[in-house]
Amino acid sequence: MNAAVKPRILIGKPGLDGHDRGAKYVAQILRDAGFEVIYTGIRRSPEQIVDTAVQEDVAAIGLSLLSGAHLALFTRVLELLHDRGADDIVVFGGGTIPPKDIPRLKEMGVAEVFTPGTPARQIVAAIDDCLLHHSVM
Amino acid sequence: MDARLEQLIKDARSDGSCALRAAARLMSIMTNQPQRLGELLAGSRDWPQPRLVLGVTGAPGSGKSTITDHLAAEFRDHFPERKLGIVAVDPSSPFTGGALLGDRVRMMRHASDPHVFIRSLASRGHLGGLALGARGVVRVMGLIGCDTVIVETVGVGQSEVEIAQNADLVVVVLAPGQGDSVQMLKAGLLEAADLFVVNKSDREGADLLHQQLLSMLQRQRLARLDLASTPGEPMTCGGPMLTGPQGIVDERATPAVRVALDNETPPVFRCSAIKHEGVAELMMELKGLTDRHAVDWQNRRKGQTIEEIRLAVLEEVRRRVSDRLAPGRKGYEELERATEGNRSMAALVDELLYEAAAAGRGLQSSGC
Amino acid sequence: MSATEEQVDHIKQAVERWNAGPVAKLLAKFPEQRAKFVTASDRQVERLYAPEAATIDRYAEKLGLPGEYPFTRGVQPTMYRGRFWTMRQYAGFATAEESNQRYRYLLEQGTTGLSVAFDLPTQIGYDSDDPMAAGEVGKVGVAIDSLADMETLLDGIPLDRISTSMTINATAAVLLAMYIAVGEKQGVPPEKLNGTIQNDILKEYIARGTYRFPPGPSLRLISDIFAYCTEKVPNFNTISISGYHIREAGSTAAQEIGFTLADAICYVDTALQAGLKVDDFAPRLAFFFAAHSDLFEEAAKFRAARRLYARIMKERFGAVNPKSLMLRFHTQTGGVTLTAQQPDNNVVRVTIQALAAVLGGTQSLHTNSKDEAMALPTEESVTVALRTQQLIAYESGVTNTVDPLAGSFYVEKLTDDLEVEAEGIIKLIDARGGMVAAIEQGFVQKQIEESAYRYGQSIDNGERVIVGVNKFTGDEPPTINLFEVPESTTQRQLDKLRGVRASRDVARVEAALAAVKQAAVGSENLMPPILAAVRAYATVGEICSTLAGVFGEFSESTN
Repeated sequence: MNAAVKPRILIGKPGLDGHDRGAKYVAQILRDAGFEVIYTGIRRSPEQIVDTAVQEDVAAIGLSLLSGAHLALFTRVLELLHDRGADDIVVFGGGTIPPKDIPRLKEMGVAEVFTPGTPARQIVAAIDDCLLHHSVM
Repeated sequence: MDARLEQLIKDARSDGSCALRAAARLMSIMTNQPQRLGELLAGSRDWPQPRLVLGVTGAPGSGKSTITDHLAAEFRDHFPERKLGIVAVDPSSPFTGGALLGDRVRMMRHASDPHVFIRSLASRGHLGGLALGARGVVRVMGLIGCDTVIVETVGVGQSEVEIAQNADLVVVVLAPGQGDSVQMLKAGLLEAADLFVVNKSDREGADLLHQQLLSMLQRQRLARLDLASTPGEPMTCGGPMLTGPQGIVDERATPAVRVALDNETPPVFRCSAIKHEGVAELMMELKGLTDRHAVDWQNRRKGQTIEEIRLAVLEEVRRRVSDRLAPGRKGYEELERATEGNRSMAALVDELLYEAAAAGRGLQSSGC
Repeated sequence: MSATEEQVDHIKQAVERWNAGPVAKLLAKFPEQRAKFVTASDRQVERLYAPEAATIDRYAEKLGLPGEYPFTRGVQPTMYRGRFWTMRQYAGFATAEESNQRYRYLLEQGTTGLSVAFDLPTQIGYDSDDPMAAGEVGKVGVAIDSLADMETLLDGIPLDRISTSMTINATAAVLLAMYIAVGEKQGVPPEKLNGTIQNDILKEYIARGTYRFPPGPSLRLISDIFAYCTEKVPNFNTISISGYHIREAGSTAAQEIGFTLADAICYVDTALQAGLKVDDFAPRLAFFFAAHSDLFEEAAKFRAARRLYARIMKERFGAVNPKSLMLRFHTQTGGVTLTAQQPDNNVVRVTIQALAAVLGGTQSLHTNSKDEAMALPTEESVTVALRTQQLIAYESGVTNTVDPLAGSFYVEKLTDDLEVEAEGIIKLIDARGGMVAAIEQGFVQKQIEESAYRYGQSIDNGERVIVGVNKFTGDEPPTINLFEVPESTTQRQLDKLRGVRASRDVARVEAALAAVKQAAVGSENLMPPILAAVRAYATVGEICSTLAGVFGEFSESTN
């Protein structure tokens, strides 16, 4: 173990939505908080995102979605993680997500959901918290 | 090596569903445990190795990732059965230690290709243009059967030196509009290259850059020939700008995709990755070089391994000594005494080395 | 020194005395709330503005009269005294049936134009049954696969009387062809059709992401549309060059103008290279901007954009038709300014933003609904958004005179400064070899990303206050009713698509697609073969994958 090494995080945009302002901003504030962030760019398939997460050995995947396709796409990402034996990777998300869908996402296994306007501090603290017990190789 | 490590190695070499995950975790160990790196590298020397480790370097913005992406596509077309590894290094923030690793954005078409394994690394303050564990990551790529591994450097600092020590061949990517390109050539990149790529060749300024590069190579070549044959003769500068493979000068012709001044001089490729020009030719050249020179590289790699061991030894010495010099340790008190002139520096060094040696005895693994 | 300059000098001296005397004295006891005051775009704002001599001495050149060059004060002589702006609410969801009902509702409530939102698969050119469309069908807009869907979408809407704006870019040629084909079925000839297609692919690479083909072929499609419409659909705005999404992605107000006009320059160059004459197509170029909450900066932005565009068209492209020099624009209030916290506050934000658009002389306006930070709007929230526009039009009185902010020392200074800054940005793009090169280099994206980062940081560190987000926060849970796209949408759309595929003349479809391919390989105008394919009920996905087979696919690769 190496205490100095912070976990790596993937920030991705699954589906067809091209609005990447939020994803890029979150990637930047996580970088500022000392994380190594792997950014995938827009319009990626769940397969591409999960394969990337496995190869990069990330501790967490953050997905940003503004297209309303969050239920379908989060479901698929979680399924694929399971198939690849990578259920231990924490998944969180953000974007235009109706409050009503948040409990459903959490039930599915999404650790945190951040809606527009969530302060950076709060996002970083929540992720730190989720990864508290994650062991970095 | 601990049992967990052994298990990961076994899993990574298997065909099982956990192979990729195990390989990725091994790479994390290589990058996250610098204090064990020497030991880990030593333990990995008998793993299968890639046939070719290709370094790709050049100034930021020259299009290294795009060239890498297109080379990967060509490689997959030519060798559908072979595996390719890509290691892409980006800088860490010196202030926060964090990093935004974005090289993959340009390579996402390979993300779900089972024959391509891509790993992004942050430089973590390491100044050589690579990341400290990059060599270990390449080893793991060899372990999982990668035929070729492309290592893309940060593109700043002393990239050229370190990549030359870690790759069989080095491609230096230059692009017009990057004022840094020519500066970097002057600062040592010229000598490090086995091949040059003038990227974005459709862009304004590409012809000029191409000519500047050829003229620098020509000067270097003439210097070499002069030294070899007629020392004392005044050196010719400048010389032909556009010389084809036969040495025929034609300044009006569109420069060829591949120009080589002679067999000893690194060839220059004009590529426009965006327009799919030149990369296929580059790939064929690399293939030819790999087939011809694989034996030479074994010697080169032996040299690299010696260098690797040397660095590991130095690192271990540094680690053991600096442990003893940490505040609160006995060595630190000695330092304080030295400030008062009560202690001879040479004696202090001798003592520290003696203690460090004692500390290692019986404790350290057989690594080096 | 002119007489005005002398007077202005006099006033400026008085202001200096005032700052050094009474103000300084007051500040010693009661400092201002902050050391530096800035606009929403980080532009420093002075305590007090004084008149500039140039506003009077160079009045004709800087301001002119409404409806006259350089159009700073507006593109029509009487502006809203003659006719209000078009109240146009962007809408579309689920299948064509549901969206058609929403349009009819909006028309009953007094909207004066339609604005169609398509779902992402339609915008990118995937059919609803394409694996890439999974989860996205009917979500951010209506799903259109074939002409059959378009017929349903526009059912009962008289295309000779209603103008329709369509937010469609990569696949604009196909959707425009469908609109023309529906017109034919309604007995409305193409020359009577009114509306706008967004058709602005450059800002997709920069900020919005619904590209499909690489820049070269995309620009060719655009100039094919220009050429075709100039001849056959003369009342259609063939492009709506959009700063809106650039601003949404995080740019400043000046970058919004600069990058948008640099895009415009690229489109004009492309059309000129294709052999068109500037005064033939330039009158049909339209623009689309955002309105954010910094009221004066935003109003000034629209005035600066008009003046700069008029100058570019006249001086750079030698246009002489006054209509070629006019920057006519649609405005949408700023989506990114909406907050999920305390959603009712959004109604107030939208009011201020809509006012900025009207004070800036917009030709049409969409007001966002309060719930759009979380979902598509409900019918109720859309109604309030529309009422906001009607209130400004009928109750506020700001429409009674043309360009009511002109002559405000502050607004004129902002207008001048924004114009200068935007022009500087255009020069940077020119120096990089034009917009396509600047995009390929990642330059534009990087600039926007940096502005977005600075803005985000200013909120996160509390320098900038967003009510309900980083100040005056309450912990009230948002209990508001949100719109939901019916779960049955995808299935119904797939059934309909299957039905269309089963009932059409397959040989005719194949021949039509072959003709599209042939045109794409060659250089003939793509609109006629696309129109023929649409009439044969070829789908959006089929036509676009045929084009992609020739043109290639673009994917994000820049910084």
